[in-house]
Amino acid sequence: MNACLSDDALARAHADLASIAERAHLAACAACTARSRQMRRDLDLITAVLRDSREPLARVTRTRRRWLPAAVGLSAAAVALLWVEVAVWRAVTPVPPTMQPQEVAAILTDVSASLFSVSGDPASAPADAAPLSLESMAREVDSTLTGGEP
Amino acid sequence: MEPSPSRDTVVIAHYGRLRRLCRLLLGDPQEAEDVVQEVFLKAHEAEQLGRAPMDWAAWLTRVAVNACRDRRRAGGWMRFRLRSRPIDDLPLVADAPGPGDVAVSEDTRRRIWTAFRGLPRRQQEVFALRYIEEQATADVAVALGLSPGSVKRHLYRAVRHLRRALEDAR
Repeated sequence: MNACLSDDALARAHADLASIAERAHLAACAACTARSRQMRRDLDLITAVLRDSREPLARVTRTRRRWLPAAVGLSAAAVALLWVEVAVWRAVTPVPPTMQPQEVAAILTDVSASLFSVSGDPASAPADAAPLSLESMAREVDSTLTGGEP
Repeated sequence: MEPSPSRDTVVIAHYGRLRRLCRLLLGDPQEAEDVVQEVFLKAHEAEQLGRAPMDWAAWLTRVAVNACRDRRRAGGWMRFRLRSRPIDDLPLVADAPGPGDVAVSEDTRRRIWTAFRGLPRRQQEVFALRYIEEQATADVAVALGLSPGSVKRHLYRAVRHLRRALEDAR
């Protein structure tokens, strides 16, 4: 007589996939018949549970957990946007040029010479004159407006 | 020729069965309810268009399974949005555990449900129709658009997987 059927073979028999030899053995072997009946009872139990009982709440928990990666991803995206704003965007944005005090003084001198020229030509600054400071320019403008009095 | 059954008759005869099937396939009672309504709406349209099927049971099952597939394909967001809390659900059975529930431990029930949800969708459909709905293999094949041999192979794999889960619970 053949060896008894494996559990897989019994499952095949239940799905009507057993070979002729396996079916013949099942019909003749009391032990395999008993195991097949046990499998039938197991299937009845599984069917009854799926048909009549509520699905455990674990699925809801799992669904919530499914959103954890999405939440982490969104947080990471927010942090990345912040970093782009702080580091990258400011690095690539051109900074407005700042002028040196000497440049400012030279421009003010030119402006002053143009505004207060007597002959119509801009008064040129003495070549050896030291660069004017803001205070001295202010004094010069003040003295010009007040007619030479300090 | 036998007259076509009235709409009410069809609804009464198949509503509970379809609701249970859709709940099993979708895992969400409210979504299952929506799908069943959708299926009966399609049945009504088919009847209005003079395309009422000869076999309402097979037709409704096929449409319900397809509608469940469409819902699953719609993606996780739609399922999350529409998911209802089980606490709001009207149970198909009494809240108090019956003799069968008492006999089966909570751990065993949980393992069986987890194992069922772990099955591929096709195996879930085959198992639900063959064992829960108690349809013949040929009818399952027609409903799912499979060959009978394919149904048997899916069934074999599903049974093997579920039995292992049950043995682990012992």
